[in-house]
Amino acid sequence: MRLLRAGRWITGIALVLLAGVYVRALAYTPVERAQGLAQKIFYLHVPAAIWAEGAMILVGVASIVYLFLKDPRLDRFAHASAEVGTVFAVLMLTTGPIWGKPIWGTWWTWDARLTLALFLFLLYVGYLLLRGAVADPASRARFAAVLGICGMILVPFVHLSVYMFRTLHPMPIVLKPSEPSLPGSMLTTWLMSVGVFTLLYVGFVIQRYALSYLNEQLEAAGGIP
Amino acid sequence: MRLPDSVRHAWAIAAKDLLVEFRSRTGILSAGVFVVLVLMVFNFGRDPTAVSNIVLAPSILWVTFTFAAILALNRAFQLELENQALDGLLLAPIERGSIYLGKLVANLLFVASVEVLGVPLVALFFNVEVWAHIGTLAGIIVLATIGFVSIGTLFSAMTVRTRFAELLLPVVLLPFMILPLMWATLATTSVFADRPLNEIAGWLKMLAGYDIVFVVVSLLLFPATVNE
Amino acid sequence: MQVPEAVPQNGGYMVAAYIVVAVVILGYALSLYLRTRRSLRP
Repeated sequence: MRLLRAGRWITGIALVLLAGVYVRALAYTPVERAQGLAQKIFYLHVPAAIWAEGAMILVGVASIVYLFLKDPRLDRFAHASAEVGTVFAVLMLTTGPIWGKPIWGTWWTWDARLTLALFLFLLYVGYLLLRGAVADPASRARFAAVLGICGMILVPFVHLSVYMFRTLHPMPIVLKPSEPSLPGSMLTTWLMSVGVFTLLYVGFVIQRYALSYLNEQLEAAGGIP
Repeated sequence: MRLPDSVRHAWAIAAKDLLVEFRSRTGILSAGVFVVLVLMVFNFGRDPTAVSNIVLAPSILWVTFTFAAILALNRAFQLELENQALDGLLLAPIERGSIYLGKLVANLLFVASVEVLGVPLVALFFNVEVWAHIGTLAGIIVLATIGFVSIGTLFSAMTVRTRFAELLLPVVLLPFMILPLMWATLATTSVFADRPLNEIAGWLKMLAGYDIVFVVVSLLLFPATVNE
Repeated sequence: MQVPEAVPQNGGYMVAAYIVVAVVILGYALSLYLRTRRSLRP
């Protein structure tokens, strides 16, 4: 399958480039004075966060269009984006606390990104479980689309809520994990990482899409092995 | 002046559900017993010196209401599972939206009756001042309940025919319940602690906004859950 | 890699995070590869 091959190539290249980002982040990017080496987790955590949320938005958009057009390709894409989004959400949920412990002194906190990571993860899991539970393909696609749209709409509420919560309950932060206004070298590393994660998202989604297509063919022919 | 058809139809569906419920009374009784049981257990389990009532009561109140809501929602479309009643409902010349609104109203009333039972019990067991702020409390409860019941009604239409329906519904609904639950609990804590009203204005606005958005979205998406 | 003196010594966390990310990403890539291979076989 052409699509599968393309997906595998893109993923392969992305993995090699990821190794490059690793080397650059670990060995060739300056250490941040206040947070120390742990700050470098930022170069993995934030790009993962961008795509964990991005994948959810794409699931929502694809779902809306699916309900109008009923094109199965959109449903396949939504499914793929959801599964890949789950992987990125897991990355957020693991790197977040590992970063938080040395910086904030605690494994968990209800800050903006960790809270969002948890919500995204729960939404993705629900989406995938719902898909798994519905036998009829047409219903499955419609139901998944409904859930995908609701999930996408929930995300801005989570952002709003965290913002409100923060302004009313200021949390004792010792060090704020560094955000923009990064000095040149750090910014470059960060941008490289965002690029690699984007490539990973694309490669994974294409492969997962191809897998869905293959499985549908098998199901139509009579039974998945 | 006659009400528009869609409203009459919605009310007819709600009335049908409530009538069935009232005749058998199993749902409301089990929910009621559950509320009493949970409150009693929490009451015996707490250590008054460790955690004050004002801190504990709102959380317990809302956990109880949430469970009651899930009980109601799980039953929402089960009535239609038997004898292909749902097909009959869909064949009738009524808009899909009316079906949703009818189900929503029935679910809301069911959960409301449980809440009406729960509030005085919480006040009694946990010794919190409820009557003085009953208006605000009622407002919070109405807003939060609409929040999760609106989405829950939509989702229960989808999960009802799946294999582990009673398990799948809460799992899928969870992220959508956390936010209204959180805002409601924070607001309720504020009310029990006798804080001025303007402090909870933010939470109430969030709840109201959430309700409006998700009732509209659920109404728009409901046809997708029942159309073939 | 130069680590200035006054900086908190938390390198262990960095290593842990980088390893976890590598494991998850490679694990998923492998999962995709294996599942696709299984579906291509018949």
